[in-house]
Amino acid sequence: MTEFSPGLEGVVAAETAVSEVDGANGRLIYRGGYLIEDVAAVASYEEIVHLLLQGDLPNSRQLDALRRQMAEARTLNDAGLGAIMALDPDTDPMDTLRTVVSAQGATRSITKPTLDEAIALTSIFPTIVAAAHRRRLGKEIVEPRPDLDHAANLLWMMEGTEPPAERASWVGHYLVLLADHGLNASTFAARVIASTGSDLTSSVVGAIGALKGAAHGGATLAARSMLDKIGSADNAEKWLKDAHARHERFAGFGHRVYRTYDPRAKILREMAKTAAPQLHKTAARTEELALQILHEAHPERPNATNVDFWASVVLTGAGIPKEMFTCIFATSRVAGWTAHVLESLSDLRIIRPASRWVGPEGGKQALPLAGR
Amino acid sequence: MTGAYVPGLEGIIAAQTAISMVDGENGRLVYRGYVIADLAEDMSFEEVAHLLWYGRLPTRAELDGLTLELAASRALTPAAAATLNALPTDTDPMDVLRSVVSVQGVEHRLEKPTIPLAVHAAASFPTILANFHRRQAGLDPVAPRADLGHAANYLYMLNARESSPEIVRALNTYLVLLADHGMNASTFTARVIASTDSDLASCLVGAIGALKGPAHGGAPSAVMDQLEMIGTAANAERWMREARKQKVRFMGFGHRIYRTYDPRARILKAMCERLNPQFYDLASKVEETALAILHEEHPERPQATNVEFYSAGVLQAIGLPKEYFPPTFAVSRAAGWTAHVLEQSANNRLIRPQSEYIGPEPRKPAPLAERG
Repeated sequence: MTEFSPGLEGVVAAETAVSEVDGANGRLIYRGGYLIEDVAAVASYEEIVHLLLQGDLPNSRQLDALRRQMAEARTLNDAGLGAIMALDPDTDPMDTLRTVVSAQGATRSITKPTLDEAIALTSIFPTIVAAAHRRRLGKEIVEPRPDLDHAANLLWMMEGTEPPAERASWVGHYLVLLADHGLNASTFAARVIASTGSDLTSSVVGAIGALKGAAHGGATLAARSMLDKIGSADNAEKWLKDAHARHERFAGFGHRVYRTYDPRAKILREMAKTAAPQLHKTAARTEELALQILHEAHPERPNATNVDFWASVVLTGAGIPKEMFTCIFATSRVAGWTAHVLESLSDLRIIRPASRWVGPEGGKQALPLAGR
Repeated sequence: MTGAYVPGLEGIIAAQTAISMVDGENGRLVYRGYVIADLAEDMSFEEVAHLLWYGRLPTRAELDGLTLELAASRALTPAAAATLNALPTDTDPMDVLRSVVSVQGVEHRLEKPTIPLAVHAAASFPTILANFHRRQAGLDPVAPRADLGHAANYLYMLNARESSPEIVRALNTYLVLLADHGMNASTFTARVIASTDSDLASCLVGAIGALKGPAHGGAPSAVMDQLEMIGTAANAERWMREARKQKVRFMGFGHRIYRTYDPRARILKAMCERLNPQFYDLASKVEETALAILHEEHPERPQATNVEFYSAGVLQAIGLPKEYFPPTFAVSRAAGWTAHVLEQSANNRLIRPQSEYIGPEPRKPAPLAERG
């Protein structure tokens, strides 16, 4: 038996070629060996789906085929649609996503995860997310458009009008940047579920559940809510100092792995200047001050603005309502989740760690009910 | 500090727990200090659920309170009932459970998990399964009966009539025996999801997804399938030797932890002998043969009939169709899952292990037009 490392920090739980977070050097490497900043500069989300699921960037023929396959897989089946209509319109959209993915993937008997299934799951997320959004607004669900790419179609289904190319590209970039990130909690949950020989839907449903947590996918919404409370660049100093005095955590700062600036945050920070100029000002001032305050309080810790902080600004600029942030995160990450599950199949071994017993020794006498 | 990759996290301590201890060396399972054999015969599922949730056996007043609370939480919400009805009637009941538990929990949104929420969730499992079973047979659901205990009411809702005390007792013992088992894969999944500060429903759907895998809870029906193929005790030796030549795995054997006979299997075996003699005659012969063959092949390995093997006979005697074996396992384990989620969130740290990158070193991506 080894030592107990809370949170499995530093424990290697999988070998993977899907992505690598090189925290010491502030690098994120996607499958095939591409640095995130290099691949984000040239690839659309569909190309990243191909990369993560199939091991390399597609050529144009492969990309066309994948686009067609994804466009054809955007329609809900009866069970998925039935589940959406069964839920109250004001249901938390992550709960809707979790439920509808589960219902959409309900089958007669268990099947081994396949590439086609991974592509179909990735394709259906925008449809579910947009439907959840429309129902929250009391509006009719919008049918998918096969002629639009993944990001533009998402906005189309959410808004019912064709989005300006600029906004679609911001969403597309966001989707590229968040598609995978090593063995984060939701990806790890997906791999644990897959390790029992379960099906792809079960893995993805569990991953959605993990992403929903405030310490994981919920962090983008938390960052935006904090920026809303701060309100303006002028107010940042006072708000942050007060919050720090109340021992409140700053949303959007801190990461277990990065010891330098998160490379995704760097790209999003730059995008934010054009995507949301006003909010960018508030955010930039907030970041500057927050890092200062955190450094004074803990000089030994590395400065760490995390991806959620700047993602919240870019998504705002792209016109995504903040209640939908975690769902949009899931819409990106599903490519990584499914890629990890498919990868794990080649050497499947049940993930069943040990626990340390801290309860009473066995052998306590169970008193009969009347004697207790 | 990053350690070496340990496949399956075998031997890695992922949590401290006071809920249950699997003492594999000595073949003991301990719930909160009580060895399982002392609980199995005399305790109701409600008493054991109280033990797992609160850490001690209930007094008469506490037991009455919990029994009432469970009984009062059995009805499905309208959204949950509508989702159940949206699923095709030939859906795997595990997928039904995963989808409907997801909905039943939505009204609690991102509340921190509590014992009342655990009670509410665990109470709904039998209702979901019984209602779906009725629907498959073209029958209306049967309203739960508040005067019946957890086991008796499950059977009542399935069959629209009360079962004999002997059958109720058998199901109750099964539910007690399977209610928790250390850091198994589904429980670990629930804790990983809980560690992100997600909600109870998210933890449970993830756990159900993990339990669905054939290497975990999906095995009891596979045991049945194999016994059906073997057919008779006289045929066992010939069939099994032939099967091994074709590398067929014997279902219901092998466990990572027990080095002696699983204490739950021992109790279930005795129950089978009493309740299901026909199954017992075949199964005990198959067990004897399997252990002999496995011993010939790997004399160094401990003999291990696992809990799934005789579970199958008990659940069959109770009258459950084999598709309902895994979700009935979930009915029991819901108590343990929720207890672990409560324990995790009481002293939480995000479970985020590391991965070891085995992909290529960084290189530049080619633009689309230049890819071969």
